Amino acid sequence: MLLPKRSPPGIRLERKKDASLLNWNLKRPYPPETIHITVPSKATPCVRTGDKVVTGQKIAVPQTQNESVAGEGVSIHAGITGTVERIAELPNALGGKSLMIEIRRPREPKPTPAWDLRKDWEQIPAEKLAGIFQESGLVTTDPQMEPVHLKLARHGGARTVIINLCDPEPYITCEQVLALSHPVEILRGAELLKKACGAEKIIFAIENCNGEMIELIKSKIYFLTWSHVEVRTVPALYPQGLETLLLQEWFPGEACSAVVFPASTAFTVYEAVALGKPFYERVVTVGGECVVEPRSLWLPLGISFQNAIQACKGVMREPRRVLMGGPMAGEAQASLDVPVTAATSAILALPKEIAKEVVAEPCIRCNLCVDHCPVSLSPAMITLAAETKEFSTAREWGASECIECGVCAYVCSSKRPMLELIRKVSSLKESEVLHA
Amino acid sequence: MPETGYLQTRQLPPHIRSTDSLAKRFWGQGIALLPIFIAACFTGHAGILRVLLICLVSVVSVEFLIAKLSGKKDNLHNGEAVLTAALFSLLVPSRCASEIIIFGVFIISIIRAMFGGTGTYPLQPLLLARAILQLSFSNKMGEPMLLAGEGSLWVLVSIGLGGVLLMSQKKGYWENPVFFIAVCAVFKILGGAYGITAAFLSSVLFTAFFLLADPVVLPLTRRGNIYFVLGAGILSSCLEAGGFSISAATCALLWMSLITPWLDVLIRPVTFKSIKPLKATHPR
Repeated sequence: MLLPKRSPPGIRLERKKDASLLNWNLKRPYPPETIHITVPSKATPCVRTGDKVVTGQKIAVPQTQNESVAGEGVSIHAGITGTVERIAELPNALGGKSLMIEIRRPREPKPTPAWDLRKDWEQIPAEKLAGIFQESGLVTTDPQMEPVHLKLARHGGARTVIINLCDPEPYITCEQVLALSHPVEILRGAELLKKACGAEKIIFAIENCNGEMIELIKSKIYFLTWSHVEVRTVPALYPQGLETLLLQEWFPGEACSAVVFPASTAFTVYEAVALGKPFYERVVTVGGECVVEPRSLWLPLGISFQNAIQACKGVMREPRRVLMGGPMAGEAQASLDVPVTAATSAILALPKEIAKEVVAEPCIRCNLCVDHCPVSLSPAMITLAAETKEFSTAREWGASECIECGVCAYVCSSKRPMLELIRKVSSLKESEVLHA
Repeated sequence: MPETGYLQTRQLPPHIRSTDSLAKRFWGQGIALLPIFIAACFTGHAGILRVLLICLVSVVSVEFLIAKLSGKKDNLHNGEAVLTAALFSLLVPSRCASEIIIFGVFIISIIRAMFGGTGTYPLQPLLLARAILQLSFSNKMGEPMLLAGEGSLWVLVSIGLGGVLLMSQKKGYWENPVFFIAVCAVFKILGGAYGITAAFLSSVLFTAFFLLADPVVLPLTRRGNIYFVLGAGILSSCLEAGGFSISAATCALLWMSLITPWLDVLIRPVTFKSIKPLKATHPR
């Protein structure tokens, strides 16, 4: 009505990606002595203590594999060659415990097997792709870690596949570096995803400040002469580039007509189908001001954070906080012995002047959180209600629709723990809300 | 890697914060008032400095006493109490008796303490205190001399400069002062009888920039703010038929503050419910 059109929601953060982009050639570190591979709840280990395994060997199978062809779980594969030391509940990076398989490598590490290109991979029919994805253990390389075949089944009628090349968080460059190194593989992976879900179009989402990447992808599309692939830019703002916001911006009101995958997932899809390589490693950014040589590199799933940081020559000063993920939505770690998973996009060691301790003050209703919320919620109202234990009011104001991007807490003048309060409301069960 | 304190506690995201703070906001607003005090000294209103001094001394004393008695942190460190005292000194006549000024400052601090401190009060303590003084000492309380009479061009310029300083800090919506000034100007033109004087403009600008700058009593959306400001402008103009006064603006703002909770409930941000939200953080 009285207001001008709303500008793209989000905040402009200092990007701090230069340090890790200096070393943008992707390397694999020397294999660690042990790795701890997380077994998801819907998979069962198929190896026993003392078994010898090789890189890429299946070590866990989906629980429903015998009953239905496309069960809910995915297979899990060994990231290094070695011996299964133990299968036990061990701490994970989210502060809980998960079932993990510990593999210890021999004194002299074995060379990684070469994965040769299959001749007929382009002729594989669409209906067989879901089975390959499940067998190869493909999950999305975002915090949700949803099995790729399940996500495709959920978006059965999607007409567009969006490949997300954005790294909206500061420091993180894993998608960018992977796309600069393997643009054609990502394009072919995207084509396979399009084929698997029967879509008609592919859109590459790239941040508008990333001109080099835009030109690179456009040139590869030109050489492949694919007219159904399009490059679209998103503003270089946080949290622009998140799946929810891409759908909200480009497909308002018809979110089911598109499905979003990170570029690294498209790459793993290509490797699984064209090379037959299962998913056992991913590109992770190890960075932050405290790391000696910040960079993005290939890390086997299950490598500890300690070893990952050591692969970048360790730390030069004591960090205040070590994070899994970016500084806006990442998880602070209580131990460095936790393993890398498919959701680990970055390991950051931040010093005290960046990760400052803050003292919360009362809300003065300055509206900054409301104005900056990318999903147009009223974080002030939700958190004020949560503080007074009026959880049903907080729910009414849409606490469950929060995407937990952390923008409200970032901009808050009073430094209130907004995300903590919103999470508290979201995590409560209906009965607890009514009781409160 | 050294195994020390940084791994002992688990912190929730975000792990970085903006450089904004309450102290920055309040002291920034205080700095925006400086041109007005400087202009007052050079336009024969130096008496206002006496009022300012009384306000500052009494606010420091009262806040210190309240903090001692209640065992809570005082509001002096973040500049809120000092800002309120400085604003209050501009709202009372410069020849006002010292005891009335001290009583006013006492009311402000008591009201703020009663509701629980910063950010908790439903009505601006500053305006409430002025309204109470107006009712209690109606013969001694009038319009502030800086903004009454014929007015001064320099005072007008200083208020405008203060407003520009305040807006450059980007702590509020630009629509608030613009819409308020527009509504008051329209009513003044419709009233017709008295032309637009420097005093009228000074009072309107002062209200638009400084009295409408307290976000605690304003609605939580930009649209809500616009309705609040329009309502305040209309009420101020209607209460002082054919003109504008700080007393009328005080009443109008207090009235509008009372309906802020309704504005908050009625005017909500428009959410995008068609899309299933996917969290940016890791699911637990």
